Amino acid sequence: MTSVRPKLKPDTPKTITAWDTATGRVVYMTADHGWTSDPAKLGVFTGEAGEDALEKAAAQEGIVTDPYFMEVSEDGAIAGRETLRETIRAVGPTTHPEFARAETS
Amino acid sequence: MYRYDEFDAQIVRDRVNQFRGQVERRLAGELLEDEFKPLRLQNGVYLQLHAYMLRVAIPYGQLNPRQLRQLARIARDYDKGYGHWTTRQNIQFNWVALKDIPDVLDLLADVEMHAIQTSGNCIRNTTTDHFAGAAADEVMDPRPWCEIIRQWSTFHPEFAFLPRKFKIAVTAAGHDRAAIRVHDIGLHMRERGGQVGFEVHVGGGQGRTPHIAAKVADFVPEGELLDYLEAIMRVYNRFGRRDNKYKARIKILVSETGEEAFRDLVEAEFEAQREAEKIALPQAEIERIHAYFAPPELAGKPATSAAFERAKAADPGFALWADANLHPHKQAGYASVTVSHKPVGGIAGDATDRQMMVVAHLAEAYGHEDIRVSHAQNLILPHVALDDMYEVYRELDAAGLATANESLISDMIVCPGLDYCNLANARSIPVGQAIAREFASLEDQADIGQLHINISGCINACGHHHVGHIGILGVDRKGEEFYQITFGGRADEKASIGQIAGPGLRAEDVPPALKRVVERYRALRTEKAERFIDVVERLGTEPFKEALYAAD
Ligand code: HEM
Ligand code: SF4
Repeated sequence: MTSVRPKLKPDTPKTITAWDTATGRVVYMTADHGWTSDPAKLGVFTGEAGEDALEKAAAQEGIVTDPYFMEVSEDGAIAGRETLRETIRAVGPTTHPEFARAETS
Repeated sequence: MYRYDEFDAQIVRDRVNQFRGQVERRLAGELLEDEFKPLRLQNGVYLQLHAYMLRVAIPYGQLNPRQLRQLARIARDYDKGYGHWTTRQNIQFNWVALKDIPDVLDLLADVEMHAIQTSGNCIRNTTTDHFAGAAADEVMDPRPWCEIIRQWSTFHPEFAFLPRKFKIAVTAAGHDRAAIRVHDIGLHMRERGGQVGFEVHVGGGQGRTPHIAAKVADFVPEGELLDYLEAIMRVYNRFGRRDNKYKARIKILVSETGEEAFRDLVEAEFEAQREAEKIALPQAEIERIHAYFAPPELAGKPATSAAFERAKAADPGFALWADANLHPHKQAGYASVTVSHKPVGGIAGDATDRQMMVVAHLAEAYGHEDIRVSHAQNLILPHVALDDMYEVYRELDAAGLATANESLISDMIVCPGLDYCNLANARSIPVGQAIAREFASLEDQADIGQLHINISGCINACGHHHVGHIGILGVDRKGEEFYQITFGGRADEKASIGQIAGPGLRAEDVPPALKRVVERYRALRTEKAERFIDVVERLGTEPFKEALYAAD
């Protein structure tokens, strides 16, 4: 299953994000279709390559949960309409800066 | 409080083992998320923005110190050192890893707790007055009936797959502190000629289509209550809409059918129950459950306490707190304490593991081992002697739990919002923090008097914004957070839904706008005892709308 979020155009740069099934930690797909919790290392996809990446993510059900397209800029920064939501997902609650993602284990 | 018997204990333990197997299969990839989701939801496990969230049931909000210590241990060892009290008198943990949840559920089972039916389309935790069994103004203690309803509704096979979730609340006091008129079923206990019975309200609710419940029965005698509830549930199960999630709550059925016709359906269903299927709860069983809720043995005391009065005179902080956070007890010389989880600028409803330990200790030392979670996201120590009050205050104060603001403007109900919630449109907590900072002076808050601000981060209304005297709803406009303000909502016996004031405000404009509203209220009240909501009742919402948008 994939999560339902706002639809993105095929040529909009995007990555795949999901949750690590065992821990619930936020993860992003890397350019070689692996997973990272570090948004600086996420892969940027467009068009067919994006669809292909999402399909690969959805096939890894035991490892990740609810993968979906997240809009990014061409150099991989969080972008678009859901920037606030995705920044909070990446960094942690704005109300608990001490829980910033870096120390999530 | 109720204690598990061997069957209860076994069922809960079996359920943990069953879920452990399901988690193992999920992690092995044998269960897909689509298959696993309904299973995890039945065990209170959500997937939120950052992590899994575990919602633990606290039946009618009552805890003993052992249970609270166990929640503290879970917060410390499996979360990031805190939990969050919810408006349904439960607790949520925000950071528990799925692989650890079976262990957490085992720890809960060790203290007679679980997460069953805290999610999904079933009958959820029955909630009640957080001063139940202690309040001077109650006719009787509603908790035994909450327990009876809990036993009836837990694992009831007929009501495991309702059209939508279902929430029941019970109160037995003249003043409704359990918001029964915005629940699917609200029960108001009454006594009539020596007999105990229930006034039954059906079809209240919040969310995207808020409704105040319709009164369907004036007096259902206690022995018939479960059969009457079954009749309601059957009508709902049969006619409630399953084609559209947004029209599936019983409030829609009641409003689409019409109050009269709905009442007729319930009456007909009740009449049609065969003798053999009637529960007709025997008096002996009612008494057996009541025995678990025998009042604590409180030593007789004079109505006033010299120690209490001396401390008030000596310590103005204590005096302010005692005026705001104590509620009259049915027994002279005692009071119920609201342990505020709303420090000014803090996070409404969050409790650290250390704070939980402090409250558990106080409940043991001074509070007859009784703790409640209030729907306003505070804790309550229902039975504390005035003689001990200063000691209790000092320990709470040292733990950051003695903000003198019960029912005042900074005692807000705030949902998790976009800082945690996967469904949110906007953040709630930071808006609440900014408002609390705007009204930081507790003396000033005491002067403003009772004023409930409720904040939700989306139309699901977990933060009860529809029934806040001032309600705040976060909305998303093209990726930007805006906040829509309502006036005149209330959740008590005069329940009503707030009216939308006009266009939404930016987050930074909310605190100064509310400041203007409060100043307008102060100018309009005839005396200090006339609360904000009373002025709205007398003059309507116009003056406040005008003040809200009166920025130069
Ligand atoms: C963070 C995870 C949460 C999720 C995913 C969630 C989801 C929802 C949804 C979908 C509704 C709307 C139901 C409907 O209208 O049919 C709702 C309503 C509600 N929720 Fe939550 N909620 C969450 C947290 C909370 C919290 C923290 C509280 C208490 C502070 C809470 C208490 C309520 C209440 C009281 C209602 C509205 C009353 C009603 O059902 O009519 N929820 N929630
Ligand atoms: S009101 Fe909306 S944002 Fe707030 S907790 Fe409920 S679902 Fe989440």
